Amino acid sequence: MRRKLGVPIVLAMLAALALLVPALGGDYYVHVFALVFTNVILAASLRPSLTCGQLNIGHSAFMSVGAYTSALLAKNLAVPFEISLLCGALLATLVGLAIGYPSLRLRGVYFAMVTVAFVEVIRLIAQLWVSLTRGMSGLSGIPKPSVLGMTLTSRASQYYLVVGLTLVILLVLWKLEHSRLGLIWKSIGMADNLAQSLGVNIARHKLLAFMLGCFFAGTAGAFYAHFIRFLFPPEFGFLMATNILVYNYVGGRGHFVGPIVGATFLSLLSEPFRGSPYETIFFSIAMLLTILFLPGGLITLPRKLAELRSWRTASAPTPSPAA
Amino acid sequence: MAILEARELTRLFGGLAAVNRVDLTVDKGEIVGLIGPNGAGKTTCFNLLTGFLRPTRGSIIFDGQDITGLRPHQIAARGLVRTFQLTTLFQEMTALENVLLGLHLHSGKGPRQVLFSRRDFPADEIARGRDVLEFTGLASHADQLTRNLPHGHQRVLGIAMALAAQPRLLLLDEPVTGMNLDESGRVMDLVRTIRSRGTTILLVEHNMKAVMGTCERIVVLNFGQKLTEGTPSQVSTSPAVIQAYLGTGIDHA
Repeated sequence: MRRKLGVPIVLAMLAALALLVPALGGDYYVHVFALVFTNVILAASLRPSLTCGQLNIGHSAFMSVGAYTSALLAKNLAVPFEISLLCGALLATLVGLAIGYPSLRLRGVYFAMVTVAFVEVIRLIAQLWVSLTRGMSGLSGIPKPSVLGMTLTSRASQYYLVVGLTLVILLVLWKLEHSRLGLIWKSIGMADNLAQSLGVNIARHKLLAFMLGCFFAGTAGAFYAHFIRFLFPPEFGFLMATNILVYNYVGGRGHFVGPIVGATFLSLLSEPFRGSPYETIFFSIAMLLTILFLPGGLITLPRKLAELRSWRTASAPTPSPAA
Repeated sequence: MAILEARELTRLFGGLAAVNRVDLTVDKGEIVGLIGPNGAGKTTCFNLLTGFLRPTRGSIIFDGQDITGLRPHQIAARGLVRTFQLTTLFQEMTALENVLLGLHLHSGKGPRQVLFSRRDFPADEIARGRDVLEFTGLASHADQLTRNLPHGHQRVLGIAMALAAQPRLLLLDEPVTGMNLDESGRVMDLVRTIRSRGTTILLVEHNMKAVMGTCERIVVLNFGQKLTEGTPSQVSTSPAVIQAYLGTGIDHA
C-alpha cells in the first residue's frame, strides 16, 4: 500500500533506459543487457516462493528444463519459437508440481536441501542423457527465436523480445503481489499457523507460488536457449541457483523491486568475471556485505544514506526520526 | 445443545500422554473456560481441536460433523476458529490487512479465483474489515503496522482477525495474559459481547479473575487428564483443584 506510486515510475524509467540500449551501445552491450533481463525474470519469479517463506535454492533447474525443452523441440521437431517457449515453461511448471507437491510441506532448511538436490539431479540428467541433450558436448544449433513466423536475426530484435517478455512477466508478478494472493503469500511467510487458522490452505498456496515461479523460470530458460543457442549442463547448476537467490537478498526482500534491482546491479557488476572463478567470490562478497551493512538490501540504501546524513548534520542530541 | 463434543481425546508424545482421554463438551452459546497448571495439556487440547495436531485416539464432533483428522484450514472453514498465545500476528502488515486475511475464508475465493480476480479487495470487503476493527475498538489503528501497536491492541487484533473469519465457536488461547487489570477487563467485556452476538466461546486463561468472572462453566485439566468441571464457584472450592494448583499441604509431608 505504501510507495505504490514509486513502482510504476521506476519500471517506466527502467523500460525507457532499456529500449535505448541497442541505439547507444553495440552488440556487446545488447548481449549483456539481454542476459541482465533474463536474470531479472529469474530473480523476480523466485520472489513469490520466497515470500511464502520457502527457501528455494533450485530455481536454475526449472530454467534448465525450460531451456532444453524449448531448444530440443525447435531443433529436432521444428516447432515454432512461441510454442516451444510455452512448452518449455509448461514442462518446467509440471516438474515444479512433481517436486513441489511432496516437498513443500518441509520447512526452511529441509525444503532448501530438497531443492539443492534437485538442481543436481536435473544437471546430471542433462549431462548423462547424451542421446537427447548431447551431454557435456553441449547442445548447439538451436534456432534463433522467431515471432509469428519472422525469425529475429539481429541481436537488437532478440533483445527487444526479452525486454518485452520481462515487462509482461513483471507486470503479471506485480499485479499478483498486490492482489489478495500476494497478501496471502506474505501471511504464510510471516506466520503460517495463523494463516491456516484463518482458513488459508497453505499447502495449495505454497505450491501455486512455487509453480508460478517455475513457469517464468522456464520462460527465461527458453529465451536463453534461443538467444545463446548453445546449452551446457553445468551452466544451470548450483551456482546459478544461488545467484538467483543472492539477487533477491542483495536487492532486498522487502519490496517488489528488490530482485529487479539486485539482478540488474549484480549481473552488470559481475559481467567482467562471468564464467570465471572470480564470479563466485564476487557473489559471496556481495552477499556478505549485504548481510553486514544493508540487511534490507539495496532498496533500503537511499533511506540508510538519508539516515546517515541526518545523523551527521544533527550533531545535537536530537532523537532519531527513524526510531 | 452441544456445538463441540470431544470424546476420549488423547495425544501421545512418545510415551508421554499430553492429553489423556479427555471428554470435553461445549454447548451452544456458552462461555467455557479451560484451566489447569502449566503443562496440563490446555494448548495441546486447542491444537487437537483445531487440527494443528492429530489426536492419537478419540474423536471430535463439531456441530454434528466429525472433524477428527481434518486439516486446520478445513476446520476453520467449518466455523471453528482459534487465536494464538502471545502475539502471533502478521507483524509487517497493517491492522486492516490482518483483518482482511481473516475475511479471506468467506470471500469465496480459492487460489484459482484469487489468481484471476480483477479487483484486489472489493469495497464491501474493506468495509467489513473496518466494521470488525470498529467493533473491537481498533478502528483508529486500521492503517498502522501491526508491530507498532501496543501489546494490548495486538492481542485484541488477534481476536478481531478470528472474528473476521465468522466463527461459530471461538477458541481463545490466553486472551488477557500480560495485560493490566483495566485492559483485561475490556477484553473480557469484548468476549461477552461476542458471545451475546451468537458465538460460542472456549478459552484458555491463567488470569483467574478473568476466568471466574466470565466463564459459566470451567473445565480443569491436570497432567493431561480432566480433573473436574463445574461452575466457577464449584471449581474454585473443589479440594482437587486447590490441590492441583497449590500442592497437598502439610498433611502430606
